[in-house]
Amino acid sequence: MTDEAGMLLRVSVFGFAAGVVYWFLSYEPLGTVALLLLGAGPGFAGLVLLQEQRARGGTGESRADAMRRLAGIPPQDPPGPKDLAAEDLGVLPLPTIWPLAASLGVAMLLTGLIYGLWLVILGLGLLAYAAWGWLAVVNRENRYGRLQADTPPPSPQAGPTSDPDPQPNPADAERQEDAAG
Amino acid sequence: MQPRRRVPAVRWLAVTATALVAAGCAPQSVTEQGRAIHNLYNLFLYIAAVVYVIVAVLVIWSVIRYRRRDDELPKQTHGNNRLELTWTAIPFVIVLFLFAATIQAQNKVLDPVAQPAVKVTVTAFQWSWRFTYEGTGAEVIGTPDRVPELVLPVGQPVRVKLVSADVVHAFYVPQTLFKRQAIPGFTNEFDLTFEKVGLYHGQCTQFCGLQHPDMVFRVRVVTQGEYQSWLAAARRSTAAGQPGT
Amino acid sequence: MATTELPLPALPEAHHEEPGGIVDYLTTVDHKKIGILYMVTAFGIFLAGGVLALLVRLELARPGLQWMGENTYNQVFTMHGTLMIFLFAAQVSTGFANYMVPLQIGAADVAFPRANAMSYWLYLFGSLIVFSSFFVAGGPAAVAWTAYPPLSTDWFQGTGMDLWIIGLAVVGIAGILGALNLVTTIFRLRMPGMTMFRMPLFTWGVLVNQLLILFAFPPLTVAFALLFLERNFGAKFFDAAAGGSQLVYQHVFWFFGHPEVYIIILPIFGVISEVIPVFSRKPLFGYRAMVFAFFAIAALSFGVWAHHMFTTGAIYLPYFSIMSLLIAVPTGVKIFNWIGTMWRGSITFPTAMLMALGFILVFVNGGITGVMIASPPIDFAVNDTYFIVSHFHYIMVGGLLFGMFAGIYFWFPKITGRLLSERLGRWQFWTFLVGFNLTFFPQYLVGLDGMPRRIADYQIERWEPANLASTIGAFLTGVSVLFFIWNFVVSIRRGAPAGDDPWEGNSLEWVTTSPPPSHNFHHLPDIHSERPAFDYRHRGDPAFAAAHTDPTRNPDRG
Repeated sequence: MTDEAGMLLRVSVFGFAAGVVYWFLSYEPLGTVALLLLGAGPGFAGLVLLQEQRARGGTGESRADAMRRLAGIPPQDPPGPKDLAAEDLGVLPLPTIWPLAASLGVAMLLTGLIYGLWLVILGLGLLAYAAWGWLAVVNRENRYGRLQADTPPPSPQAGPTSDPDPQPNPADAERQEDAAG
Repeated sequence: MQPRRRVPAVRWLAVTATALVAAGCAPQSVTEQGRAIHNLYNLFLYIAAVVYVIVAVLVIWSVIRYRRRDDELPKQTHGNNRLELTWTAIPFVIVLFLFAATIQAQNKVLDPVAQPAVKVTVTAFQWSWRFTYEGTGAEVIGTPDRVPELVLPVGQPVRVKLVSADVVHAFYVPQTLFKRQAIPGFTNEFDLTFEKVGLYHGQCTQFCGLQHPDMVFRVRVVTQGEYQSWLAAARRSTAAGQPGT
Repeated sequence: MATTELPLPALPEAHHEEPGGIVDYLTTVDHKKIGILYMVTAFGIFLAGGVLALLVRLELARPGLQWMGENTYNQVFTMHGTLMIFLFAAQVSTGFANYMVPLQIGAADVAFPRANAMSYWLYLFGSLIVFSSFFVAGGPAAVAWTAYPPLSTDWFQGTGMDLWIIGLAVVGIAGILGALNLVTTIFRLRMPGMTMFRMPLFTWGVLVNQLLILFAFPPLTVAFALLFLERNFGAKFFDAAAGGSQLVYQHVFWFFGHPEVYIIILPIFGVISEVIPVFSRKPLFGYRAMVFAFFAIAALSFGVWAHHMFTTGAIYLPYFSIMSLLIAVPTGVKIFNWIGTMWRGSITFPTAMLMALGFILVFVNGGITGVMIASPPIDFAVNDTYFIVSHFHYIMVGGLLFGMFAGIYFWFPKITGRLLSERLGRWQFWTFLVGFNLTFFPQYLVGLDGMPRRIADYQIERWEPANLASTIGAFLTGVSVLFFIWNFVVSIRRGAPAGDDPWEGNSLEWVTTSPPPSHNFHHLPDIHSERPAFDYRHRGDPAFAAAHTDPTRNPDRG
C-alpha cells in the first residue's frame, strides 16, 4: 500500500487498540469514545486512499521499489520538471478578495451569537455573498481553462501564432455558441 | 595547553551540576504516604540528572571536537540501525522500570487505611475552607482573612473527604507532597498519616477566582492528648454557634 | 448569458517578486505571502503576550500586590496563556509551513490556495475578536487559559469571556481548514520523484502536526461550544446538581490540550532536523527512525490527556502514566539522532545553529521534568505549582522559541534575499540563553517548595529571592527579543545579499532564488534522495554519482 495509506491506517489501529484497552481498564466513556473516533478518522481516510490505489491498479511505490531492488534492477526515478512553467506543476489562482470576505462573514456570524440575531444575519449575508463571488471565480477558471501565472509578456511583433498545429480554442467555440444562442 | 584548561572546566561543571541536582531534591515529607513520593521523586531526579549530563556532554563534546576545520565533506553516514535499536531499547527499559517504581509508590500513597482514626470532611468554597470532624460535632470555618486550622493528631491515620461547594478547588499541603482536587458534585477520599508534630502551610492550588491566592489554611499536627482537648473545646464552640479556626 | 462578455482575466507579471501593497496582501492567494502574513501576525501576538508575561513577573517579584489588583492579575495571566498557546505558538509554525512546504516538495502552491487565504483571515479575525475582549465592560477573561467551568460558566458574566470563546472558535476553524489544506498538499502535490520518504523532515513535522490539528481541534470546538451553551443558553452539562459533571469538560478539553502541545513542538523538531544536518555538513542521522518517531509521538500524544487530571482522583492512573512515560522514548530517539548527525560532522556556528544547540540543551531539561510528572505520585506533589510552570516553559519558551529563531535565522535569507546580522544574532542568543534559564530554573525550586501557580500574590518570604531572580531573567529575555527586532529591522533593508543558497542547504527550497518567484521555481532538479539541493550541488561529481543517498537503498546501514 502507499506510504500515506499505511501511515494513516497504523495510527487508526493505534486509536482502536488504545480505545479498547482503555475501556476495559477504566470504564470511562468519554475517553473511550474519543480514542475510538481517533481510530475511525484516520482509518476512514486510509481506507479511501487504499480504495483509490486499488482503482488505479498498481502497488504502492515503496513496494515496487523493493521488488525492483530484490530483482537487482537499478531504481528508475521519474525525471523532475526541468524548465518550469506553472502548467507543469499546477494551477495558480489569481488574487481574490473572496476568502477575506468569507472569513469576515464567518467571524460576524459567530460573534452574532453574543450580540444578537442582527449580527448573525449580517454575517450570514456576507458569507453568502462571498460564497457566490468565490464560486463565480472558480466557475470562470473552469470555463476559460487553466490560467498561466508565468508567461512572458506578448512580444511587440505578435501576429498570427507560430504554432504549427493550432488547435481550436474551446473558449472560442463557447463564445461563438453563446453569441449565436 | 588544551588538556590543562579542560580539567578546571570539568570540575566547575561537576560542581554546578551537583549543586543544581541538590537544589532540585524533593523536600522531606511529614506524612507516611509522602515518604513514598519523596523517594520516588529522588529516584527520578537521579536518573534524570544522569540522562541530562550524558546528553549535554555529548552535545558539547560534538560541538568542540567536530568543529569545521577544512572544506572536506565528512563521511556522509545516514544512520545505523543497531544504534537506533539500542537507543530505543535502553530508554524503553528505563521507562518500564520507572513505571514499576511509580506503581509501587502509588499504591503506598493511595491505599486506603482500614480503620482511620479521624474522619474529616473538608469543604472547599470560595475562598476558604470548612473542616467538619465526622461524628464529633466539631467544625472549623475559615475566611480569607481568618486562616482556618485543621488540627490533627500525630501518628493516626486521617481520612479526608474532600468536597467543593462551588467551583473546582484543590487541597494542597506542600509538606505532605500531596494534593487533590475538590470537584463540585464529586467526593474525593484520601488518607494522611502525619508523622511529625508541627504547623504546616496549606493552600488551594486550583485557580478558583478572585481571591484564589488568599485561600490558605494550616494543618496543626499535635499529640493525641492535645488533640482530644482541642476537640472537646471545638465541639463546645461549634455547638455554641461559633465554629473556631 | 452574460458570461460571453467576461474578458479573460489579465495575466500577472511574475518574474520578480514585487513587494506587495496593501491590496496585494488583502487579495493574495500565494502561499508565500500568506506565510509571511501568518509569521508577522503571530510575532505581533507574541510581543503582546510577552508584555503580559513581563507584567506577571513584575507583580510577582516581591510579595504583596504592588502594581495591580487581583482581578487584573488574573486577566493578565489568562490572556498571556491564551495569546501564547492559542494565537501564537501553533501559528508561527503554520507560517513557516505555508511558506516552506510547497517549496520543499516542489509544488507551485498549496492544494487550495484560496482556502489557504481564508484560513489566515479567519485566524486574524478570530484573534481580533479575542483582543476586543480587552475593551468591553468587565475586560478580558480571567479564568486561566484552560477556562474550567463552573468558574468560567457561572462566575464571569461579562462579554469578555464570550468573546474569548467565540474568537478562539474562529481560530480553531482556521486551524482545521489549514490542516485539510496542508495534508492534501503533502499527500498530493509532491513533484515527481519526491516520494514520502524523500521529503525533508520539516515537511514530515508539518504533516504530523496538521494531522494532529485535524483530530484535536474538533474536541476543543466541542468544549467551547459546551461552555458557550452553558453560559448563554442555560445548558447544564457541567452542573452536578442537574446531573452534569465538571469532569466532562476536563476530559474533552485535555483530549485537545495534550495534542496541542505536540502540535506546537513537532514542526519545531522539523526545523531543528533541517538546521543541524546543514551546519554539520552531514545528512540527518536515522531519517526513517526520525519519521517513525514523529508518528509514535503523535499517536501517543492522544493517549495521555488525563495526565493533566492526575489530581482529580477520577481517572485510571496507570494507563496515563505508562503512556506519558512512553512518549519519552521516541523523543529520546530524536535527540540521539540529532547528536548522531553532529557526530563526526564538520560543524559551523551561524546563529541558526547556535539556536538549534540551545534548543537541545533547554528542551531536554523540559522533557526530563516531563518524565517526572508523568508519574502520578510525583505529580501529586508538584501539580499546579511553579514546577509545572517551569516544565512547560522550558518546552514552550526554550524549545519553541529557540527552534523558532533557528528557523528564522535559517530561512530569512530565502524569504527576503538578505542575511540577518550574525553579530546581533549572537547578542540575541546569549542574552536569551542566560535570561531564559535565569527566569525559569528558579521556578522549579520554588515550585518544589510548594508555591502554587496562578496566584497574584504570595506571603511566604522565602519565595521572594527566586521570584526576583525570575523577574530579572524575564526582563533580560525581553532584551534578547529587542536584539532580534533590531536585527530584523536593520537586515531587512541593509542585510548582506544572501544568494540562492547561503548555507549549502539540503532541501529543495535552496535550489530556487531568494526570494522565490511567484510560481516558486524556474527549474527543478531530479529527485533521488532526501537531499535534492545537496545532490544538485554535487551533480557531475563522480564521488557522489553512485551514492544515491536514499536511505531505503543505502548500503551503510549498521
